Amino acid sequence: MDMHMMKASRIATSEHARIAVEKAHQVQPKLNAMVTFCDIEEQLEHLKEIPTDAKFYGVPIVLKDNVSTKGIRTTASSRILDDYVPVYDAEIVTRLRNAGAIIIGKSSMDELGMGGTNLSAATGPVYNPYDLSRISGGSSGGSAVLVASGVVPFAIGTDTGDSVRKPASYNGIIGVKPTYGRISRYGIIPYASSLDHVGYFTRSVRDAALALEVLAGRDDRDMTSSYHEVEAFESLTTGSIQGMKIAVLKNVSEMLIDGELKQQTDDLLDKLRNQGAIVEEVSMKEMLLKAALPVYFIISNCEATANHSNLDGIRFGVQHGDQSYEDIMIQSRSQGFSSLIHKRFVIGSYGLSEENQERLLRKAQKVRRLIVEELQRILSEYDAIVAPASLSGAPKIDDSADQLSLEYLIAENYMGIANFSGYPSMTVPYASVDHLPVGLNITCRAFDEVTMFNLALAIEDITGLRDSIQEVL
Amino acid sequence: MERLEKNDIQQLAKQLMFELTEEEAQAIQTEFDVLQKQLQLLEEIDTEGVEEMVYPFETPTSFLREDEVENVLSVEDALKNAKRVKTDYIVLPKVVK
Repeated sequence: MDMHMMKASRIATSEHARIAVEKAHQVQPKLNAMVTFCDIEEQLEHLKEIPTDAKFYGVPIVLKDNVSTKGIRTTASSRILDDYVPVYDAEIVTRLRNAGAIIIGKSSMDELGMGGTNLSAATGPVYNPYDLSRISGGSSGGSAVLVASGVVPFAIGTDTGDSVRKPASYNGIIGVKPTYGRISRYGIIPYASSLDHVGYFTRSVRDAALALEVLAGRDDRDMTSSYHEVEAFESLTTGSIQGMKIAVLKNVSEMLIDGELKQQTDDLLDKLRNQGAIVEEVSMKEMLLKAALPVYFIISNCEATANHSNLDGIRFGVQHGDQSYEDIMIQSRSQGFSSLIHKRFVIGSYGLSEENQERLLRKAQKVRRLIVEELQRILSEYDAIVAPASLSGAPKIDDSADQLSLEYLIAENYMGIANFSGYPSMTVPYASVDHLPVGLNITCRAFDEVTMFNLALAIEDITGLRDSIQEVL
Repeated sequence: MERLEKNDIQQLAKQLMFELTEEEAQAIQTEFDVLQKQLQLLEEIDTEGVEEMVYPFETPTSFLREDEVENVLSVEDALKNAKRVKTDYIVLPKVVK
């Protein structure tokens, strides 16, 4: 059941969390999604002080393991943080707890958020509940599969390139990345500060709208957090799309080679037209979309290299070496990071070096602006841009690797443009190929989450894919 | 097309305070070749007169917060995750022996 149904059900409030914990333990051997299980009894005791009409009252939730939780181990799925216990809560943890949420655990992710497969987690791969031989997607893979398999109705993720929206597509659930600045990042272990967003997973659009009311709002401890008004998202989400102008991103949709997926996409678009939406194909400049991946790769790695210079095994984290402080740093960073992270940092450092900065980082930042201007051009005429979040269901684990590739350069990487622009973007399930789910990505203007949720609800009403659970027991 | 030699890669790693295995250096070199091909895509785009975009929203901040101490970690909390602590300091191996 989704959060709304859970709150309306006749099961005692405390039982929802206990049932979720039990189920999380049951699915763990198959999904490998949880890094740390949290003690819920103290939280249930604290719940007595929360008004019963609080928006998350008694709802069991999961946090991605890059969210700081006071007194609870937070590893970001990296060996170097294996024993790190934060001494403060992230702002979103405070907000969720005050709204009555019960945190049942911390979920697996690609190491430090730097991947799209969840194969790089220190605790091993996370498996897709629809087919255990396939990836969950990443980097928020643990959170995604725990929502998809019915353990919890809500989980926090983070999204720097598409790390909420792609796993949401692979797992048949809702994945939301709101506008940059909507949700405070205070207490989130960073990846790339100009692209990082807090996002989340739900199994219904109504839950997604409600959750943003709790999570959004200015936080003085995050200088990038926005003063923008937090609307009553749930009541404003009616599903009305009458007169809404929807651009179908042709650069992606024309890549649909799978007849089944193309048919389902066309059918959905026809139904949106029948409900009064104006749906038209629109192209972005091909060259700019092809540049999205290298722009992302350069900016994210350069920012990550700088952000993670504090992981040295001295002030916190796992320590190796004992000869000198340099020895401690070198040994801790050599043994504490995986090869993938070493690779990303080397490339980031290469881009930051004085002789390469103009040619690489600054060039990427300039192209970023051109890509965003192209996006703005479309959104000045249309209310939303849509496209399949991927061209197929989740790939097999053996076929997946977090390596650069020139294959499907646009279709598999275009969602990062919403991180470049900061615009709200979400994935909603709509299709199934070979029994694997595929989501539709929706991107709207800055701070126009209401339009995004309305279109998502219209799609959910058409497909009937609300509160879908893929049991793995 | 520029090629990053393994020595350069090891040098970059050294600056980043970690060591690479031979296999890691090889993998980086291979991926760097793919990266170079992708960078050619960037070079083909005319960015003459275009300003860098460093953050999504370029809204200037026109105020300063009050100069008051807030959100401070206690010394005890700040040192909680350090491996060796003595009288409010993190202890490291001696430099002068």
